[in-house]
Amino acid sequence: MRLRGIKRFHYARDVEEALSLLSAYQGRAALLAGGVDLARAARGDLEGLIDITGMGLSYVREEGGGLRIGATTTLTGILENKAAQGYLGGFFCEVLRQVAAPPLRNMATLGGAVVSAHPWADIPTALVALGAEVRWSDEKGEHRASVEELWQGQFRKIFRNAVLTEIRLPAWEGAFAFEKLSRSACDIALLNCACGLGIEDGKIAWARVAVGATPRRGRRLTWLEDFLVGNQPGEGLWREVRDRVEAQVEVSSDRRASGAWRKAVVGPLVARTLKRAAEKMGDA
Amino acid sequence: MKIYFELNGEQQYVDIEPGESLLSLLRRLGMKSVKQGCNTGDCGACTVLVDGRAVRSCITFAAKVRGRRVTTLEGLGSPGDLHPLQEAFLEAGAVQCGFCTPGMILTAYELLSKNDNPTPEEVRAAISGNLCRCTGYRKIVDAILLAAKWKREGRWR
Repeated sequence: MRLRGIKRFHYARDVEEALSLLSAYQGRAALLAGGVDLARAARGDLEGLIDITGMGLSYVREEGGGLRIGATTTLTGILENKAAQGYLGGFFCEVLRQVAAPPLRNMATLGGAVVSAHPWADIPTALVALGAEVRWSDEKGEHRASVEELWQGQFRKIFRNAVLTEIRLPAWEGAFAFEKLSRSACDIALLNCACGLGIEDGKIAWARVAVGATPRRGRRLTWLEDFLVGNQPGEGLWREVRDRVEAQVEVSSDRRASGAWRKAVVGPLVARTLKRAAEKMGDA
Repeated sequence: MKIYFELNGEQQYVDIEPGESLLSLLRRLGMKSVKQGCNTGDCGACTVLVDGRAVRSCITFAAKVRGRRVTTLEGLGSPGDLHPLQEAFLEAGAVQCGFCTPGMILTAYELLSKNDNPTPEEVRAAISGNLCRCTGYRKIVDAILLAAKWKREGRWR
């Protein structure tokens, strides 16, 4: 890999300097943290690269049962952090352990996963299920949005002139589980699912369900969440979930898997993930 | 542009292109153990250690190692003085064409630096992103487990 046309490489010391450099290049520079996506699929119009890993944005902090994660924190950095390991019984680390292989996790950052938000990626599905919030800065100031709001808009355009600074994972009183289907242990998903459940007095009090790589980016099944609330977890409910998901979730084909195959497995996948979340609550 | 960094224990002050990969730089510096395979970060043949962490040098910009410590297989052992991990690969018959071997060894080195008593499953997970097209993986896993045993016995450096 050798990016032609790159004239300068900068090491930004803070957000202001990174924004100033982005502005100076008028769209012909890119921010660089792990660099995994940039190096693999760089835009051809780039003249400048701006390394943002020296700006103090690599951290994981526990706050009120949730997590605040700096945008340039590597996936390995999160996996090795005690607060992250304890967050939701290790749920987020369970997701990250299934992303790529260790050398790539040493490079890839959580901010990169948000900015790239590949449709087949596992992290967006988990962040949607969790209701994660992201914060970024541009020349107009600081901004925040849920990942769902962000990804519904033109987020790639936003991050041509903005610096993603932090990802916040909220506290939940319940349990989450994640499942993916892929060809090999470190391959990207053919389909993935993240589910969260809160159970009170034997019944589901709240539910979060997201399915990704359909082949579209992870999105919530709010109709299923509404259906689940008030029901008692158990095999009968999981069978009902399987049938409803199979009938209602839109899936299609891409070069990795056929729509017919996705249609056949999406119901069992969601039911299995919900069952695992309920088992974590001690109530399946 | 110029950067300084440590390569296998020696300080380097070198000219690089701003868009150059670490793989390209290391090959220019004579580190022929670092292989170009897929050039997209998928196969693991170009794996090196940066500050003790295994990374894909083909998708790492050379400029990013400014001020950091880079280790290639040449820094681990030499033909006359093999590192125990290299010896273990020979002992277990884990080398055939050898193209994946440097990346396998350096990935294993990071694993054993954090865990000197891994299970076979942990070894397989660690090397899950390093592809071998010759031997299969059984002997490579055996070699890493053997090296781990030697490390626990104090045969290490």
